[in-house]
Amino acid sequence: MEIHARAKDDVVIFDIEGEIRRSDVTDVTLHQLVKDQLDVGKRNILLNFKDVEFIDSFGVGEILASYISTHNLGGKLKIAKISKKLYLVFQVTMLTKVLEIFDEEELALTSFMGD
Amino acid sequence: MAKNGIHRIFSRVVKIKPGELKISFLLFFYLFLVIAAYNVIKPIRNASLLEELGYKWLPLVYLLTAAIIGFVVALHSKIQVKISRYLLITFSIIFFFVSCFIFRFLSGFGWQGLPVIFWVWANIFIIVLNTQFWITVNDILNPREFKRLSGFFISGGILGGFIGGVLAGLLAKENVDYNLLFLSAGLLTLCALFVYLIFRWQKREQCVEEKQGKKGEDRSETTSKPGFRDSYNTVKKHKYLRLIAAIVVLTLVVSTLIDFQWNIVVKENKEGDLTSFFGYFNAGLMVFAFFLSILMTSNLFKRYGVRISLLLYPIVLLLCFSGIGIAVILVTAVIIKGSDKSLAYTINRSARELLFIPVSPDLKYKAIIFIDMFVDRFSKGIGAVVLMIVLSFGIQDYKEIVRIVSFVSVVLIFGWIVLTLRASREYVNAVKQKLSRKWERADQLVEKELDVDFSKLVFDTLESKDRSSDLYAMHVFELMKRGKLTPELRQLLSQRSEEATPSSLSAFFETDPSALMQMNDQYNNEDVLKKEIQEIMSLDVYEDVIKKYIENVLSDTSKDAVTARMEIAKGIGFLASDSPLVEKLEEFLRDDSSEVRRYAIESASKLGKREHVPALIQSLYDSSTHSDASAALEKYGTRITGILADHLGDSEEKMEIRKAVASVLAHVGNQDASDFIMCELAKDKGEMDRELIDALDRIRSEKPEIEFSEEIIKKKTRQKIKSYYDLFIEFAEAESKGKKADIRRIISHELTISMMVIFKLLGLIYPHEDIVKAFQNIQTGTKDSVAYAVELLDNMLQKEYKDYIFPLIDDISFEDKVKRCRKMLKDLEKTETS
Repeated sequence: MEIHARAKDDVVIFDIEGEIRRSDVTDVTLHQLVKDQLDVGKRNILLNFKDVEFIDSFGVGEILASYISTHNLGGKLKIAKISKKLYLVFQVTMLTKVLEIFDEEELALTSFMGD
Repeated sequence: MAKNGIHRIFSRVVKIKPGELKISFLLFFYLFLVIAAYNVIKPIRNASLLEELGYKWLPLVYLLTAAIIGFVVALHSKIQVKISRYLLITFSIIFFFVSCFIFRFLSGFGWQGLPVIFWVWANIFIIVLNTQFWITVNDILNPREFKRLSGFFISGGILGGFIGGVLAGLLAKENVDYNLLFLSAGLLTLCALFVYLIFRWQKREQCVEEKQGKKGEDRSETTSKPGFRDSYNTVKKHKYLRLIAAIVVLTLVVSTLIDFQWNIVVKENKEGDLTSFFGYFNAGLMVFAFFLSILMTSNLFKRYGVRISLLLYPIVLLLCFSGIGIAVILVTAVIIKGSDKSLAYTINRSARELLFIPVSPDLKYKAIIFIDMFVDRFSKGIGAVVLMIVLSFGIQDYKEIVRIVSFVSVVLIFGWIVLTLRASREYVNAVKQKLSRKWERADQLVEKELDVDFSKLVFDTLESKDRSSDLYAMHVFELMKRGKLTPELRQLLSQRSEEATPSSLSAFFETDPSALMQMNDQYNNEDVLKKEIQEIMSLDVYEDVIKKYIENVLSDTSKDAVTARMEIAKGIGFLASDSPLVEKLEEFLRDDSSEVRRYAIESASKLGKREHVPALIQSLYDSSTHSDASAALEKYGTRITGILADHLGDSEEKMEIRKAVASVLAHVGNQDASDFIMCELAKDKGEMDRELIDALDRIRSEKPEIEFSEEIIKKKTRQKIKSYYDLFIEFAEAESKGKKADIRRIISHELTISMMVIFKLLGLIYPHEDIVKAFQNIQTGTKDSVAYAVELLDNMLQKEYKDYIFPLIDDISFEDKVKRCRKMLKDLEKTETS
């Protein structure tokens, strides 16, 4: 798994590549990266899953932990371009009710402006 | 009017119903004439043999008859294959008619072998014509009719025997008077006329039944006509028929031994004028047998059933043999011979024919041919051989011979009793086989034929498609989880909804048919998806996030929040049962929206947690959630028997809930559940009786090993029968007062339900399947199947039940039924007060 952070306006975008698995845990997790951004005052986080091939429950846990951390600080964490499969998992687990999910990155960015 | 008058008179003595009068009398006179003709021939037969050859020839002629009868049976079988039953009987009568003249002609030559040939001919005469008579009766009557009417026909035969004997006695001019054969020929001519009338009646009846569309089992002409070998094989192959044949063998061997004892004792104790003595004895015997038949035979069958009726004959003979074994005197010989013949003509004949009634027409005909025409004579042959063996010891003291014969007979009678007990058991089984089950319990049928849960899930999935994509996804996931997402179902779910759906990721299932395929391909191993979702849901962060979401939704009172609540109610069902989020389900179980409650009930059913049971029980009250709550509670199984019992027995609880709880307990279906229901039934409140009895019936139908308190059932059955009597009288009054058709229809429906309740109670203590078959056949069967159903109950129920239930189901007129109901109601009330 590789995560690259970039900024667009006041939104920090994390471009995630590869697979998010428990077995591939690295020293720096997604949640840690999000927390780092929160620590420096960033409050709008967008997770771009465009190049994510697979995500397991550990990965979902990372997303949720990131969401909670952001939310607790009054920030927003949104998701873009997740696979249909992951979307189904989110639907079944009711996470679509909590997480804001967008088909396209642009749409997600626009939505930050309205908040 | 005249017909009704005759019927009224005869129905006091014989249980002849309207419409049966004509055929009853035709059959009565048919047998009367056959036996009368034979009883004219019989004295000539006996006199000619005893006068010209001596009684020592008796064993020899018995044996000769047995040997020759085999050929006669073979010939009879060959002829009857080629011609109709009517023609067969008519030709037989013509044959014996012509033979009478031939024997009269031959008697003039004084040939010494003639008495032997005449003896054999006379025996063939009675075997053939008697058998043909009973085949005709079997063709025409069902078991209930047979039980009522057989005594009457037999009385005809006995009366014929008496009249024939008296005529022979009065008209005989010589010791051996062959001129009496002219009289027999005359009687046979009349007999042919009655046979013609009987078959004409039968043909007309069949036409009427066909026109009315009531054609039941065809018992006559269409029956196949077997050869002797076929008849023999049929008996050999069927255990029940073998038993009957074995009983016949023992009966007739014993009867032959009695006949020998009788002759020897009379010969040694009575000097001179033997013919006159035999004549008076025969006449007296016939009079006794006549009254025995007309007064006792039908009542005996009706009151004590087949088993006791069958056992009476051997037991009486056993006592008689003990008597003659102790004192070899004329009186004991008269008693034993009198008992043998009178019981053989009456009860035994009826009992034997009754045993044949439940046998299918084809088998019956073959068996009757073999047993009546071959086994009958063959048995006498065995008797003759036994006698020859006894005589071969060279014992001179006739008393000693009589005692040895008695000892042999007693041994045979014990075998006879054992076979009789087995045959009566097999008889009931044969009656059962005549009854088929007409329908299954509706609830069990639905459960058996339908996967109700799956059907509901498919409908919910389709319904959720337009309501919420999340709810829809949850349903699809559940279908996948259950392995039910078949290609056909995928195609059905992929069809576009009529309504427009937003083009977004959230709607891809609805708009993109390939998405489902793709999703399924990705998750072709549904366990992977299931595991992943479970893992996500067990995450602490997940619980934190969703808990907050749930609380937000619960605090939202807007209309839009209903769908969100439905989703949560559904989603909780995917959680592990120990998840803290499950606690929230209680609130959804008590939600204002029945749709939300329904999903919550479904989740509670999946989680199976005891704390949800009270809420589920309360959901039984609401008609919109009743069936879901029932199904959910049923899935808890035996774990919640106690709590269900508390609600069932709580008089403060809503009646609808208590009734529904009874049904749930029926599904739980263990001994405790049935005991709790039974306990409630015993409380005698009456308001939930139908539901409680239905619940017990369901348990009984699925778990025959569960035991029920007979005492409570007995008491309840009496109550229900009493209620039925009351209702029936109310119905009769509504009829007579010409009340509105609607009211009568309602009472009539209530009567049917009431009857069903009575039978369900009976099914708890008697074999359930048999009682169900009996009830269903009584309700909807043809005339014959109703008769077989009643016959089965007659052989199965204890007397106390029969006394009260038969007035409800017996094939009697409406007026008689009302009378009997009133009488039985008084009896029941008297019993209660005493």
